[in-house]
Amino acid sequence: MQRREFFKKSFAAASALALADTLGASETRQPIDNRKVSSIAFPEKRPLITYSDRPPLLESPRETFSRAITPNDEFFVRWHMPEIPTHIDPATYKIHINGAVERELHISLDSLKLDFEQVEVTAVLQCGGNSRSAFTPTAGGIQWGHGAMGCAKWKGVRLRDLLSRAGLKKDAAWIGFNGLDNAAYYETPNFVREMPLEDLDDHVIVAYEMNGEDLPYLNGYPLRLVIPGHYSDSWVKMLSNITVTTEYQKLFFMDVAYRVPDNDCECETPENRFKPTKPITTMNVKSIIGYPTNNTIVHHNTHLVVRGVAFDDGHGIRDVLISTDGGKTWGTALLDKDAGRYAFRAFRYAIKPTKMGKLTIMAKAINRLGAEQPFAHEIKWNHGGYKFNGIDAVTVEVI
Amino acid sequence: MKILLTALVLTASALMAQVNEPVEVPYIAYEIKTGKGFDAVQANCLTCHSFGYIINQGPQARAFWLEKTVKMVDAFKAPITPEDVQSIAEYLFTYYGNGEEK
Ligand code: HEC
Repeated sequence: MQRREFFKKSFAAASALALADTLGASETRQPIDNRKVSSIAFPEKRPLITYSDRPPLLESPRETFSRAITPNDEFFVRWHMPEIPTHIDPATYKIHINGAVERELHISLDSLKLDFEQVEVTAVLQCGGNSRSAFTPTAGGIQWGHGAMGCAKWKGVRLRDLLSRAGLKKDAAWIGFNGLDNAAYYETPNFVREMPLEDLDDHVIVAYEMNGEDLPYLNGYPLRLVIPGHYSDSWVKMLSNITVTTEYQKLFFMDVAYRVPDNDCECETPENRFKPTKPITTMNVKSIIGYPTNNTIVHHNTHLVVRGVAFDDGHGIRDVLISTDGGKTWGTALLDKDAGRYAFRAFRYAIKPTKMGKLTIMAKAINRLGAEQPFAHEIKWNHGGYKFNGIDAVTVEVI
Repeated sequence: MKILLTALVLTASALMAQVNEPVEVPYIAYEIKTGKGFDAVQANCLTCHSFGYIINQGPQARAFWLEKTVKMVDAFKAPITPEDVQSIAEYLFTYYGNGEEK
């Protein structure tokens, strides 16, 4: 048994290599999808795909995406810095607001919950580098499959309300966010983020609750920023400081990381890097099949219900289309009820496979502006491996 | 009765308060190949993150590994001597290389 499994594995590895060989310079394909969850569970989490323990990097497996809400214990985890406090006292925790404001504020968790209007938003949190393993040659950075994303119902207070209480000075222009995580080495740039004041709208919240529970420790307990429609690079965790400035501060994680070529295709080649660059900001339209998964065995002449989730940056999903003939013809999936424009829209589509052998199922989302997902191989390379949104495909075995 | 109720509500929502002690994040021993140059890797590449970061990149070209090692010094200010940078890049290509120069 063990031997057979070993052969199976080495065969899969060999064919992955062969595939990589046939790809020319700077192309894309389906991201890596055969990684297994670890045998070790992290605090408040089920075992997830585990790239690093320090700092913790955990990915949700594909199965997670057959539901519109991602359970807290299956939600992906992404930190940049290794020194993360392991104990937080909710009774004494304070968030500090300072800089170009009339009054500095130091707000406790209790005051946050009592003295401000409480608001909720269901929103997708997706890493800009989600699905990065689709890019060849390898775009440096964590080689995520599809699971560096999730959707939760966040509860907290509006960032705008906090800033109004502090009173913005006339020349205020940027808002800086810092969490309690720290670099191990004093000269390493910390993970500090900045937002231009004009990006501030009523949807941006400082959240303390996720799906009706306190934020899990690994998702940023006790407070994190939630910026619906935007990639998660600025959703700062363990948020402790909000500093308003009149000028942009030069920061590594703003100036170098999380940027794409500033041209129409947001693309370049490894030989010809494109400068200038721009921040990744809002999410493009995307869908992922949660069920079935690659290599699921299904019976012929039996109904198979394909399930998954679709989302964009807040315009909302108009349609999800399914193809079982490599994208030549498409059928329209049923969409579940709308949980808000920033949320996952769950979809389902019943098929009845009649032919034995391999069957590839594809899903393509179209948003209300008419923007649709391109095929995976049509996506152009960028050096950071950001914003992949190729049409998803899973291949099942019909017996 | 009322007091009891609020107490219940509080414990039900405040998970971290329930466990009022430090969180333990498990340690994972990422299997990494040993060989020429590994000493320099062990001395320099564990300060800021696990070996998981290295392994996760998959087999890569010589230029990729040199660029990454230099990035750790230039962007993240890792205090690594030029000699160690060379032997680390050499090690990475030998054990996690794809045979290509570029
Ligand atoms: C001074 C701190 C520091 C040291 C020492 C360090 N790194 Fe890093 N490394 C980082 C940071 C910060 C990142 C980015 C972290 C993130 O985004 O999660 C990173 C990321 C990486 C990545 C992922 C690819 C990428 O570009 O983000 C690789 C591979 C890597 N490091 C290899 C190494 C190797 C090899 C060494 C030993 C020579 C090393 N690191 C030493 C700070 C360091």
